[in-house]
Amino acid sequence: MTTSTPTGTPTSPNITDADLYLDGIPYDRFAEMRSTPGLVWHEYHDGGFWAVTRHADVKVVSKNGSIFSSSVGHTNLWDLEADALEARRSLIDTDAPDHTRLRRLVARAFTPKNIRRWEDTVRAITVELLDDFLATGQGDWVEEVAAPLPIRVILTMLGVPVADAGYLVELSNYLVEGTGETQSIPPDAFGNTTELRLLPFNSPASHALFEYGEKIGEERRQNPQDDLVTSLVQAQAEDGDRLSGSEYRNLFHLLVFAGNETTRTALSHGAMALADHPDQWQRVLDDTSLIESAAEEILRWSTPVMHMRRTTTEPVELAGTALDAGEKVVMWYASANRDETVFNDPFTFDVGRVDNPHFSFGGGGPHLCLGAFLARLEIVVLLEEMAKRSMRLRRVGEPVRAPSNFVHGVLSVDMEVTSS
Amino acid sequence: MSDPALNDPTELVQLAVDQDACIGAGQCEMLEAETFLLDDDTGIAALTGAGTLPRQRAEDVVDRCPARAISMVDQDDGAGG
Repeated sequence: MTTSTPTGTPTSPNITDADLYLDGIPYDRFAEMRSTPGLVWHEYHDGGFWAVTRHADVKVVSKNGSIFSSSVGHTNLWDLEADALEARRSLIDTDAPDHTRLRRLVARAFTPKNIRRWEDTVRAITVELLDDFLATGQGDWVEEVAAPLPIRVILTMLGVPVADAGYLVELSNYLVEGTGETQSIPPDAFGNTTELRLLPFNSPASHALFEYGEKIGEERRQNPQDDLVTSLVQAQAEDGDRLSGSEYRNLFHLLVFAGNETTRTALSHGAMALADHPDQWQRVLDDTSLIESAAEEILRWSTPVMHMRRTTTEPVELAGTALDAGEKVVMWYASANRDETVFNDPFTFDVGRVDNPHFSFGGGGPHLCLGAFLARLEIVVLLEEMAKRSMRLRRVGEPVRAPSNFVHGVLSVDMEVTSS
Repeated sequence: MSDPALNDPTELVQLAVDQDACIGAGQCEMLEAETFLLDDDTGIAALTGAGTLPRQRAEDVVDRCPARAISMVDQDDGAGG
């Protein structure tokens, strides 16, 4: 057993350096960390953390929320002050029983069966975007397909009118920017007067999204529709204890953000993987029964959210390392998804991969991605429609990646497309 | 408790769902659609039919439940579901 005293563990390159990710995930460094016994200590500006890089260890952290808490400190690398944590607290930053209560309010809408009801909507949006892209023959895949598809789907599910979609896409894109280190909008943008530290992603766009959520919530209270906002405000109305005003705002915010950024990232890396491995795409074209396993492989390959943090609530030993209470523990899904003890040839993109317990929806614990079945549906429908058109993608130049250690974002990637 | 019979992967075991702990994540229905069903209105999981699975598959579905809401019932102690 090693002690929790940080010793001379190598920390180069620095896996928290956002700019490092402009060249992609530092997989070599993660491989080195996976082969290091115990957990690897990593310095960070407001207090270091233990990096959890092996699949099995990530699973232990993820599944034991009472020891590895989501509600203490923050679920990102840096701590938040108590008032900021309260103001920004969403489903992501809760533990049971609050998490159980909030999650059950939205769970129904995201069950496999209820997600399948949206298949025609997803397909109609996908077909429109793909046909436009094919007609042009070339363009930025992110802007033309990967970004608009998921945001249009989640806005439809929420019940946001088509006329407002553009505004919400704009807000959502500013939030994505907020996951990096620079913001292109001033603190008072969108009439914001709230201190930025009290807003998700420190972004004034969060203020605007909260306001919009309040407005559409009020409209649905007056005039209920068959949509997600209506079911949230009804949960609030039936029993105020079930969903507070702050919880509603943050839940609306989370659904818009998470419904946009994460699937966008999977669809971007997915297209890049298919373009870079034409033999694998040919396998799918020859046998479309591979589409489901191809979608799972795209998820493993892309790891849209690269890490989540937990904080220990009591002394505990993990992977032979003794941890005190109150320590930061960071689950690196990006590393677990390449764990050579779990995945055969983890650096091979294999659309037929059979055993694929990837952690792109989290490490198997209670915070498992709410939108997992929706994300799968969007990827599967996209692959089905691409296959129907015998579409082939070819990369033109290098992608522009997001400077973020959190979201494995692609800002743009030019593609040529042909259809035979 | 090292009776090798307990580890027979084909032995049928009885499962139980703690509906107060269930968060409706749908992993059980995805893995074992014949054994688990999420309620259309609440999203909460319930057993369908006998609620038994061969031990290996039972262990997998217990492991995959993110809310730890599924358990294997020890049939010997007569505790039931």
